[in-house]
Amino acid sequence: MASRRRMLLKVIILGDSGVGKTSLMNQYVNRKFSNQYKATIGADFLTKEVQFEDRLYTLQIWDTAGQERFQSLGVAFYRGADCCVLVYDVNVMKSFENLNNWREEFLIQASPSDPENFPFVVLGNKIDVDGGNSRVVSEKKAKAWCASKGIPYFETSAKEGFNVDAAFQCIAKNALKNEPEEEIYLPDTIDVAGGNQPRSTGCEC
Amino acid sequence: MKGGVLSAPGDYIYFKSQVPLHKIPIGSKQWRYYDFGPKVVPPLICLPGIAGTADVYYKQIMSLSMKGYRVISVDIPRAWNNHEWIQAFEKFLDTIDVHHIHLYGTALGGFLAQLFAQHRPRRVRSLVLSNTFVETTSFSASMPWAPIVGWAPAFILKRHVLSGIRDSPQEPFIADSVDFVVSQVETLSREDLASRLTLTADAASVGPLLLPDSSITLMDTNDYCATPQSLKDQVCERYPGARRAYLKSGGDFPFLSRPDEVNLHLQLHLRRVGVEARPDLIPGAPKDGSGGSSNEPNNGRKDADDSSENDKRDSETPPPAESAEPPLAPEATGSHDLDNQLLKMAKLSDDIGESVSPPLENSFFRDKQNLLVSRALLNVTCEFFILNMLPLYLGNCTFTGKVAVM
Repeated sequence: MASRRRMLLKVIILGDSGVGKTSLMNQYVNRKFSNQYKATIGADFLTKEVQFEDRLYTLQIWDTAGQERFQSLGVAFYRGADCCVLVYDVNVMKSFENLNNWREEFLIQASPSDPENFPFVVLGNKIDVDGGNSRVVSEKKAKAWCASKGIPYFETSAKEGFNVDAAFQCIAKNALKNEPEEEIYLPDTIDVAGGNQPRSTGCEC
Repeated sequence: MKGGVLSAPGDYIYFKSQVPLHKIPIGSKQWRYYDFGPKVVPPLICLPGIAGTADVYYKQIMSLSMKGYRVISVDIPRAWNNHEWIQAFEKFLDTIDVHHIHLYGTALGGFLAQLFAQHRPRRVRSLVLSNTFVETTSFSASMPWAPIVGWAPAFILKRHVLSGIRDSPQEPFIADSVDFVVSQVETLSREDLASRLTLTADAASVGPLLLPDSSITLMDTNDYCATPQSLKDQVCERYPGARRAYLKSGGDFPFLSRPDEVNLHLQLHLRRVGVEARPDLIPGAPKDGSGGSSNEPNNGRKDADDSSENDKRDSETPPPAESAEPPLAPEATGSHDLDNQLLKMAKLSDDIGESVSPPLENSFFRDKQNLLVSRALLNVTCEFFILNMLPLYLGNCTFTGKVAVM
């Protein structure tokens, strides 16, 4: 009966304003890029059907306003997230330094059942700018930070579409690992027993 | 399970104290509806499913109206076929002086919304469809007794209306949503139920819409609902370009069990189709910069404000605290506030006990009682008769059903 139901994977993109969150999402879903910057108001989302090991999944990708205070977005937005994508601009040091704040804020707001193993993916975006000459965050530095947290790292260019597909494939894969088997009914909004729910161990990439 | 004001959720009691219920006769139809929020904003009209009333959307009315949207929620009137529905709804819109509308329909409501959009394309600007279908042939096939639905006793109709809802243990929010809907079904008359079942079983399908897919949002729940997956898939195939705002869970009534997510999606939908909220027009809203502050972060002050102000308030105005917030950022605040309200209202209802049921409620029940008395006699005789006849008829139906299957 429910065999044709598609699994829904919820992905949330976070990062400072102007690092290219919306552009990455648009490039991945619509294969479009616009040079015009338009601030995202509040939040918005796009969906994409992805196939993985003979099964179809609906990827629901939530894009946030970087300049918005976190608290104003709230639980509805984070509920049931399967993977969190942290984006920074390789040409702006501050956006890299803020990654940890975004990560911690996410864990507070979404309060996943197993925060230690909740899948994150970091994207260093805008590597195309100025032929890489204005770059201030080295790949080595970013990789070291991600390795210390066990987070996969990708360098991308939303403008040129470079590495975007590969990054989102990893994102979908990790989101999938986070999703419990659908036959087991696990309420993801409230913790009745107050204890830890059995979950598949998260991303170890 | 029992309905009524006493066991109702706290935020529902609060809603009833704030939002007036309208009851007007239009032509031969009685309309029962809520209409809340700034009148200059094109309304979002909520159409409930077979087991719903205008009240099931109270969480949407509360939350969205505070953000400056106009929300109308109706009881499906007693129409006995699709064309009667379309004409009745059009008359209703004319009467309340509304021209361009956005429809949010769940299950049967979604089907009726599509029909209206098909036949009155100039009025419908956008659709939000939730757990719905594009044709009813499978329902009419599973209801061979449809021709006598008009004479069936209320308890059989109620049982049938509630039959698709899962009754196994549920997560508490979903369980509460089912309880609320069941209590609403208890308030429905036999004729209401019969007409809705007839609409469901009236083998029909939605034709092509003039509305572009980009003006349609599909908001299905991904866990479980009474509408079969194959029918929901048909809706997806019909509107390939529609926005897919799926919810991971929520059961049959996500507007009750996942109100913050549903409200967020409704807001995003309204923004996308160009409806501008007018938070500045909410009565009691602080006038300072409520229009222009939409880009400023609101750093958590709402909770403090809200609780202190709300505790003093009794019933006149909707809480102004949220209204000053930017129209699109406050997804969260809605949910926070709702939670707060729940807590507060639970407190409030403890304090006032049963003495403070709003005046509207009283007159509503008195009317109902008068009606009930006069109707009771008729029903008793009628049901007695039918109870005796029904087994015969049903026997026949199952027999022919079996033959057909073979």
